[in-house]
Amino acid sequence: MLIFSVFKTLTDQTVIVELKNDLLITGVLKSVDQFLNIRLDNIQISDEVRHPHMIAVKNCFIRGSVVRYVQIPADAVDTQLLEDATRRGSRFCYKRCPKFPD
Amino acid sequence: MSSLQGYVDRERLMETLYVILSPVLYIDRVLVILQDGRVIVGTLAGYDQKSNVVLSDSKERVYSTDEPVEEIPLGLYLVKGDQIVLIGEIDSEKDASTDLSDVRAEPLPAIRY
Amino acid sequence: MLPLSLLNAAQNKPMLVELKNGETFNGHLVNCDNFMNITLREVYQTNPDGDRFWKLKECYIRGSTIKYLRIPDSLLDSVKDEQTRAREAGRSARGSHVSGAGNRGRGGPAHRARGGQTRGGPTRGRGRGRGA
Repeated sequence: MLIFSVFKTLTDQTVIVELKNDLLITGVLKSVDQFLNIRLDNIQISDEVRHPHMIAVKNCFIRGSVVRYVQIPADAVDTQLLEDATRRGSRFCYKRCPKFPD
Repeated sequence: MSSLQGYVDRERLMETLYVILSPVLYIDRVLVILQDGRVIVGTLAGYDQKSNVVLSDSKERVYSTDEPVEEIPLGLYLVKGDQIVLIGEIDSEKDASTDLSDVRAEPLPAIRY
Repeated sequence: MLPLSLLNAAQNKPMLVELKNGETFNGHLVNCDNFMNITLREVYQTNPDGDRFWKLKECYIRGSTIKYLRIPDSLLDSVKDEQTRAREAGRSARGSHVSGAGNRGRGGPAHRARGGQTRGGPTRGRGRGRGA
């Protein structure tokens, strides 16, 4: 859920999505949903000579389950804030699970 | 009530226009990439929450390095959501201006987890 | 239009089902559910290489194993017509009195048995391995 929120803050940023079929797609992140499905605008395939399959495609929906990596601009993420939120998140999990001491 | 009726009629008119125009303008022509590497183009006739999609007038585009792209008509297709990698909206002008018989490329690889 | 409503309307229609392992099943749809589990009757099963066939009287396919279904083209129009009719019936029921509720039954007569054939027969025509 945290990562979903992070992605939501990244809308309108240019990202590079690497798929599990080794395709690299650059585009502007338009939206993300709870499954981390992604909508990209203004897309560009990194090796268009090798992969001309999507030459007429301008925007697309990518299924979250086939995404390997999303490269995001470093200055678009407040890593300190993210670290804090992650710690808070894990403490929250421990509290709710009686097996783990606080 | 009358204004609402007007709205409903307009909606119906749009629907009718859509039915007439969509095959001409290729409205909602999409390109779907499947997990096994297949590329299918068709008109997006429906979809649901699980990203299952219905494609009408669909064609598979078969890519090969030593022969031009071959389009195989498939008709009405229902693809399960978990098989889908990507759905792209086709720019009809750009698509019409690319001559598929000039395009040679290796088929897309299948998804490997 | 929802994929599942199309499938529901495809009862007794011929279809081709390909599984994730590449096996295909040609038959008439008997029933289906919301998981896309289906039963087919008078089935021709083909192995992934397309070189072996089996005839089955009836079979059940778990929805999660399906890759895609190929359905007769004519079904799209009949489902659309049905939906328009249902909407109009709803509208006239809300407005004045309902009339002519008798003409139900989807589609016209004699659907051509499209989708009842495998692409390009045994070789399945993926376009690969065409002779040099």
